[in-house]
Amino acid sequence: MSEPTPTPPQPTDAPAPEPDRRSALLWVTGGLGAAAAAAVGVPVAGFLAGAVRARPVDWVPLGKIADAAVFPPNETRLHVFRNPIHEEWDGDSAKTGAYVRYLGKDESGKDQFWVFSMICAHLGCPVTWFPQSGLFMCPCHGGVYYENGDRASGPPPRGLYKMPWRVTDGVLEVQAPHLPTLQDTLEKPSKIVELGVIKRDRTGGRA
Amino acid sequence: MTARFVRPVVLLALAAAGCNPPGKPAPKTIPDRPDALVDFNVLYATHCAGCHGADGTLGPAPPLNDPLFLRIVPDAELVKVLTDGRPGTPMAPFAQAKGGPLTAAQVKVLADGLKTKWGAPPTSAAPDVPAYALTGKGDVENGRMAFAMACASCHGDKGQGGKTGDQPVGAINDPAYLALSSNQVLRRYVITGRADLGMPNYAGKTGRPHNFSALTEQDVADLTALLNSWRSPATK
Amino acid sequence: MKRIITSVGNWFEARLRLKPSVMPLLEHPIPAGAAGPKGWWYVFGSASMTLLFLQIATGIGLALVYVPSADQAYQSLEHLNYRQPFGWFLRSVHYWSGSGMVVMVVIHMTQVFLHGAYKYPRELTWVFGVCLLLLTLGMAFTGQVLRWDADAYWGVGVGASMAGRVPVGGPAVVELLLGGPTIGASTLSRFFALHVFIIPGLLLALVGGHLWLVMTRGISEPPVPGQPVDPKTYDAKYHEELKKGKPFLGDAMTKDGLFSAVVVLVVVALAAVIGPKGPNGLPDPTLTGANPRPDWPFLWLFGLLSLSPAGLETFVMLAFPVVLVIGLLLVPFISNRGERAPSRRPVAVLIVLVGGTTLAVLTYEGMTSPWSPRMSGWSGDPVPVAMVKRSSPLELQGAAVFQLKDCRNCHALDGLGGKRGPDLSSVGARLTRDQLIDQINNGTPGGGNMPAYGKHVRPAEMDAMVAFLVSLRPPGQPPARIATVPAPKK
Repeated sequence: MSEPTPTPPQPTDAPAPEPDRRSALLWVTGGLGAAAAAAVGVPVAGFLAGAVRARPVDWVPLGKIADAAVFPPNETRLHVFRNPIHEEWDGDSAKTGAYVRYLGKDESGKDQFWVFSMICAHLGCPVTWFPQSGLFMCPCHGGVYYENGDRASGPPPRGLYKMPWRVTDGVLEVQAPHLPTLQDTLEKPSKIVELGVIKRDRTGGRA
Repeated sequence: MTARFVRPVVLLALAAAGCNPPGKPAPKTIPDRPDALVDFNVLYATHCAGCHGADGTLGPAPPLNDPLFLRIVPDAELVKVLTDGRPGTPMAPFAQAKGGPLTAAQVKVLADGLKTKWGAPPTSAAPDVPAYALTGKGDVENGRMAFAMACASCHGDKGQGGKTGDQPVGAINDPAYLALSSNQVLRRYVITGRADLGMPNYAGKTGRPHNFSALTEQDVADLTALLNSWRSPATK
Repeated sequence: MKRIITSVGNWFEARLRLKPSVMPLLEHPIPAGAAGPKGWWYVFGSASMTLLFLQIATGIGLALVYVPSADQAYQSLEHLNYRQPFGWFLRSVHYWSGSGMVVMVVIHMTQVFLHGAYKYPRELTWVFGVCLLLLTLGMAFTGQVLRWDADAYWGVGVGASMAGRVPVGGPAVVELLLGGPTIGASTLSRFFALHVFIIPGLLLALVGGHLWLVMTRGISEPPVPGQPVDPKTYDAKYHEELKKGKPFLGDAMTKDGLFSAVVVLVVVALAAVIGPKGPNGLPDPTLTGANPRPDWPFLWLFGLLSLSPAGLETFVMLAFPVVLVIGLLLVPFISNRGERAPSRRPVAVLIVLVGGTTLAVLTYEGMTSPWSPRMSGWSGDPVPVAMVKRSSPLELQGAAVFQLKDCRNCHALDGLGGKRGPDLSSVGARLTRDQLIDQINNGTPGGGNMPAYGKHVRPAEMDAMVAFLVSLRPPGQPPARIATVPAPKK
């Protein structure tokens, strides 16, 4: 394999190209090749980077706080909604859920909530709420959390992920969640990801 | 020539497509979404069997496979208890509206299915069965007399427990037991007994004095009042 | 008839000139030992390749119908299962052939390792082989994701959560893996491209390289104790050996063909008898009661992740696989010379035994997953009838409370129920009333295995439940008591 490839015999009737002409040809070939590679490579690189979708900051209304059927005080309920961060063809996988408990008003009269992601902090499986024992249990590796989201037992290294929420005109809204992981929680998204992705609204315009 | 080779291949393929090897997936019987599951047996086995027993008897909770119970309990009551549970007792609310796992339709399937599967045919109805619902018109003193007649031989004269044959009977006059039992379930036991554990119903004579006659509506109310009076003041 | 075929064949041969290029490849000499009865050791590699071609064939078939779109993949799988003629069978063969490929690659690798066939001059062949193992597992994982059901969805979630633990860059890796901030359409498209284009491309290229190396450096002769490999003299010795060798086209190829045929028949039989896997459950992350499990090639990892101590977990997840792969890649460089026969290489035999046993045990644990709570245990696992029959009214209420408080999700009674905590069928003989109350109220000290239930058990519930638990004793055995403390009065 290491033998040099034999050079094809030069046509004898043609004069051997002068050395500077040949090197010029090499330069031109190299330059054109680089231009061709860039012309194709830059858009392809942009395409690959663009395949990573932007994270829109979006808020999802879950219901009127005054409605006790939606937010019974001191009872944890699963709220299912379509995540605004999704594609049209996501199907069921665009659905996501939040465990919400209405805690009533605090001293200053503000409504207080616990809002937890369904995603287990151990390895991302869905936790189930058991109202009678006040525990969230994970079916994969057996992580268990207390009703306030604290870790109760099993392998999770922390409590449940808290989802950012706000109250607008008496309606509870939660922030559309990305898939939370240990270094990229919902309350404190990873800087690494924000660096690479242009933050934009779902409608596209505002930053 | 072509036909000679193609025909057997096609026939073989058709034969293979027609036959059903065990690996061929059988049509689905369980719906994709748990909410859409409306098979009584599956629902019962998943959500009820833990406490009420695999076939509705011999669980720690009141037996549901009890024709007498199913004859007197109103349909609406079954739906209501399945939906809301019985607060204070080990019966949990099962409707999604109350934080449970079941849809309203599934609650209905369970409530209806209990009667369809385990209810007695209506012909065997006796006319004088006491009503299921609490009346609240009982008298504790009369209850004491009824207790001595109907219950004391097994449960002890003050409900402190006793024996049936050589089988010990635990106390019912126990603050924790009563705290976890609603008056409704106490009344129900007075009427239906627990056939699966050998406790006679309102009319049963097993283990009772010879001159025992079936408990009347009033007896049942009085007995319930007596049991209620045993509750510790804190849980009354 | 025969004349026509011959002349047509000659016409093509005159133009393609295959004989002078292909025939030497097929007829290349192999060591005589490898063509004899010991040649049966050499059949696993070609069986892996046969299954790879079966995977390509069935995979192309499935791709004609499968829709790699998050909202329709599940329906298209159901269409394959129930409506498309032989659709279920193709899915089934693809699953079992893929499983068989993992098995064959692992057996092939074990054989090569035990026979020291990776030693000089076949180091690179081994390295290619390790890469092929990783790509095969990559196919298994990406293939599981294409079965876009609940297991697939949460399998991606687990993979992403593991990747998310990579120091610093983890979150970026997650986005790259998912194709966005959530698991969804882009994720499936991404795994489809991986499963159908990228990994198979690499796989075929590496198989080519692997075969090229097998051709150029020859296959190893069966190991003989007392004939160690010495890189200085090996080439000349092997050359001598080949002079007495046999052509591959002959006994050796027949053995390969026969074994491959048997393997394919076994795969087809499994496919017909056991059938395709899934799809199980919609890929809807909000459906409660999901109980995600990885496909069998990853059950050992599932087990390992549950059993590894919390402090070591991130290491086990991230560093351990890397260490394992580097270790495999380094095998031919650590032991490049010396004895090849397993009888002279006790360490190699020990590594295979220990490694194999560990994998088997972890896979079994992953399969039974005793650490997982039984999510419907509290409402679906009946209290054993014998316990009900001997219980007092208070103990019956206690048993009901025991169910209500979801204890059954982790604790079995008479073997039925969760396996995470101990079976409590005779707990009354082990723990006193006070110890039980303490355990239930406070859980395992130091945030251990059992959560604290104090806030969620009222006094009457505790009384009843503990009465029930104290009553759980073998017949005739008294309640547990501590010698220094008088038995609690009831």
